[in-house]
Formats: sequence, C-alpha cells, structure tokens
Amino acid sequence: MRVKVAAFASFREILGRERALEIRDGSTVKELLDELAAASPRFREEAFEPSGALRDYVLLMVNRKRIDPQQDLARALVDGDELAVFPPLAGG
Amino acid sequence: MIEITDSEICLDELIKRAKRDDAGAMVTFLGTVRDDETGGIEQLEVEAFQEAALAELQAIRQEAMSRFSLKAAEVVHRTGTLAVGESIVAIVCSAGHREEAFSGCRYIIEELKSRAPLWKKEIGKKGERWVGRA
Repeated sequence: MRVKVAAFASFREILGRERALEIRDGSTVKELLDELAAASPRFREEAFEPSGALRDYVLLMVNRKRIDPQQDLARALVDGDELAVFPPLAGG
Repeated sequence: MIEITDSEICLDELIKRAKRDDAGAMVTFLGTVRDDETGGIEQLEVEAFQEAALAELQAIRQEAMSRFSLKAAEVVHRTGTLAVGESIVAIVCSAGHREEAFSGCRYIIEELKSRAPLWKKEIGKKGERWVGRA
C-alpha cells in the first residue's frame, strides 16, 4: 500500500516536506517510523532514544489528527494514510 | 476569519473587519519577533502545517466565539522569514463588553500556542534553533 509522510520543522530538514512510500499492507505507525529510521540514520538519531523508544518530543498526526506517540504506535495504517512527524509546537 | 499568510499583517485591516455595531469592546493581541538579551537574533523563520493549522485555528475561533459570546474574532498568523519587531500573529476580538473580549482574545492565543501546528526557528549570530526544542 501507499502512504504519505509529511515532516515539519526540524524533521522536515531531515526527511523533506513530503514523500510517498510503498509499505507492506497492514503496517503500523511504528513500522513506518522504523522504515524511515532505517533509511535515514539522522532521523533515527533525532527521533529515537538509543533504547529504540520514540523520543518524547516527537509528535505525530495521522490524517491531520494528533495521535498519542506513546499509545498509538501499534495503530495499523491503511492505503492513502498520511503520517505527519514534527517537534513541539511553537506558534504565536 | 482565519488566515495563515506570508504577507505582512495589517492590524488596522483586522480591526475594521471585526467592528460590529453591537460590540462595545475590541481587544487586540499582536505577537512580535523578540530579540534575545544579547541582540543575537537576526531572523525568525515561521513554518506551518497549513491545512491542519487552518482547521485547528478555525476550531479554536469557534470555541472562543461561543464560550465568550464574541461578536467577531479575526486571527492571522504569519509564515516565512521575519525580522526582529515584525508581527508573527494578530488576534482581534469584539464583544459586547471588555471582559468577554479580553477573555476571548487570551483564550485564542493560549490555545493557538498549544494546539496549532506552527513552528519557529530563531536564526542568529550564534546559529539556528527551533523554538520549543531542548
């Protein structure tokens, strides 16, 4: 299946603003993040603790709705989903 | 009205848009690019997840309108490269009385800061830093 990854701020500087990826059907949010980390050591370092846990400043949206990066990593994605990756918000 | 723009913010224009005959109070908030104590900030880069930020700001505006019985609420946020002193965000709230207008304006800026997908990067003599990251 095909999904889109959108990245902002510090993560945009690493991953680019937007990319489409072919991933295995039924892949989870965590599996997609792992795939991004496998392709980019810099993303791995920025987004993951050495233990493999997601760093606590990594924020996520699926289809423009915030998900809990600690609770929802096992959520299965479907074809056409968009995962957004970004650091803490700082508007205003 | 909600807007995210790379053009300069015109506060007078927002005030005109928010005027209502039945409003006795208008409160404006203007957030500006602040230098640090050493004068080291040269520019601020502001980035938005445009579609998601517009939807979130629209929701925040609606909440403020109904919670504080506002007559009008205008919100504009800048994106792009800004110099020290330039406006980053402007909010104008009209209400029957000042209490609702102050409360509505404060609600919108506080919720915007915690919920809207927007980011700032300080660019200065000593390097660059995304605001909000340790």
